[in-house]
Amino acid sequence: MSAQAGPRAESTPPSAESVADFLRRMRLGIEDGLDPMSAANRAADELPRRLADAVQLLARRLTGEYHEDEWGFDEEFAEAVFPLFEFLYEVWWRVDADGVGNVPAHGRALLVSNHAGALFPFDASMILLAIMKQHPLPRWARFLVLDWAFVLPFLSAFMRRVGGVPASRHNAARLLEQDELVMVFPEGVKGTGKPFSERYRLQRFGRGGFVEVALRTGAPIVPVAVVGSEEIYPKLADAKPLAKAVGAPFVPVTPTFPWLGPLGMIPLPSKWRIEFCEPIDLREHGPDAAEDRRLLFDVSEQVRETIQGKLYENLVKRRSAFVPPL
Amino acid sequence: MAGRRVVIVGVASHWGVEVARRLERDPSVDELIGIDIERPPADLERTEFIEADIRSPLLSRLLPTTEADTIVHCGILWYPESGRPARVLHDVNVIGTLQLLAACERTPTLERLIVRGSAAIYGCEGATPYFFTERMARTLPLRTRFQRDVSELEAYIENFARRHPELVCCILRCQPEIGPGLDTPLVRYFELPVVPTQLGWDPRLQFLHADDATGALEAAIRTPIRGPVNVAPSGSISLSHILRLVRRPALPIPHPLFSVALERLGRQLGAGPLYGDGIRMLRFGRGVDNARLRNEIGYEPRFDAEATIRDFAGKSSGRRIGPSLHPGDLIGRLAGVTR
Repeated sequence: MSAQAGPRAESTPPSAESVADFLRRMRLGIEDGLDPMSAANRAADELPRRLADAVQLLARRLTGEYHEDEWGFDEEFAEAVFPLFEFLYEVWWRVDADGVGNVPAHGRALLVSNHAGALFPFDASMILLAIMKQHPLPRWARFLVLDWAFVLPFLSAFMRRVGGVPASRHNAARLLEQDELVMVFPEGVKGTGKPFSERYRLQRFGRGGFVEVALRTGAPIVPVAVVGSEEIYPKLADAKPLAKAVGAPFVPVTPTFPWLGPLGMIPLPSKWRIEFCEPIDLREHGPDAAEDRRLLFDVSEQVRETIQGKLYENLVKRRSAFVPPL
Repeated sequence: MAGRRVVIVGVASHWGVEVARRLERDPSVDELIGIDIERPPADLERTEFIEADIRSPLLSRLLPTTEADTIVHCGILWYPESGRPARVLHDVNVIGTLQLLAACERTPTLERLIVRGSAAIYGCEGATPYFFTERMARTLPLRTRFQRDVSELEAYIENFARRHPELVCCILRCQPEIGPGLDTPLVRYFELPVVPTQLGWDPRLQFLHADDATGALEAAIRTPIRGPVNVAPSGSISLSHILRLVRRPALPIPHPLFSVALERLGRQLGAGPLYGDGIRMLRFGRGVDNARLRNEIGYEPRFDAEATIRDFAGKSSGRRIGPSLHPGDLIGRLAGVTR
């Protein structure tokens, strides 16, 4: 896993001009009596450096010369879609991140956060970006995704390539044993499906499975509070019959969805704040403590209270979700 | 393992022949006996062949006379073929294993039973653990006939092992093999000039290299351990990556039409249809954890998931018609990066 810092190489799309230039050179080559393939080859040689690099990258990708890790994470692919998420981070949601230094630079750690949004875990991608952009030693984080999203075509393949993994304690434990950074959302579907009126009120933290995994693998827990994500899809009602028909856990009715059709799926541009809290080290309890139900509930409650407190703090700091401060 | 008497049941199968060849070279194996309904195609030098049907009760009278101490069951069939429909598969796999176990009960010399089973027992679903360990069998619903069969026969073997704690019963749960010399529906699938895939799905897969398939089986015969063992390469590889490495363009088809389309195309080009488990695998994928194979049996697969495909792509001449249609080759030629 690379940990490259600093500005990313800018990629410019091939301009119409350079395409025209390429075609002109190719025609010249054919007029010189070359066959189309070698003419194209010669024309490609004379392309500007950056474009030639892009063609080479594409050719390398298309011939399979890249690596995916055993989880199907494809770092090159993640880097290629990075600018899209960067736009969401910087422009759309104007994310402010605090305490990124609390994320360990090396070794395993479990990030635990409140959860909101819809099918795509935007909160996970923004936490990931905060670490990639603002941590002194950036690293890719993996995120556990609701099972249901992994039963959908396209979305499942996309999420897997950028570091998503189906939510299962086996997957979490294996990732942590490999010293990865893993994000979990213990609220699960209860978090994403809660109505707008209950925003920032943390739901039950499952059965504390995340604490069990942390204890077993000796990974520190880093609570993360995300403010802003709970306004991007204000869920006013639940279309239960429709949800049942398509097998979804819920189908939200928001001010824009389904009224505006696909346009209604565009998340609202709320202002976001992400705060990473102090890590909680559980190693003193030892791996066998994972059997101790009471300890699981205690730690789970401690994490939940930490996140809830930080949520309220950051809500005050942020002020209005949509009206910028004067 | 000096002076062993080994019986290979299903010796005419591909893996039966392979493992018989390896054991023939082993001086510690005193006697090697192969049982099957037909003669093994290859010339085996010192394997004594006995013609018998695994489904018949005759096996119970035959097996004790061999005085075997090691029985290797390679007779589990994975793929229905013409003249060998799914019903026959069920008979051979489930009833055959039952008959074999009954025969084992009457073989007092028996010390070890090694069964070459399948990782299909775990099934394929959208959201699963990405690496099944041996304890995670039967956590998912049984959806295909082959999965049900494998699950059933493993249950019989488990039962047998419980009744006979003095025996070592080892079940290998193998991922599907791939190799240029193999003739399985999945290998033929990857040799199609245009490979149908399921639109929007890109499964994570593990294919076992043919060398590792034989190697792991041989290692398990030498040092069997009790219970199931996953046999798979390390790592995993996505279908899209495989198709790029073997230079076959993908033809995405909405998944309800996939099996029909594959059957049509397969019949046209002589590839044959896929079976139910394979179709689910090409949609959801399946990965298993091979730690038990590596640490307890002590067999380290020589090829990881990606290396297996690279080796296959390098050696397979394939059934490609005309020049490569793969866009990677076209653009590669353009940029002058490939060859």
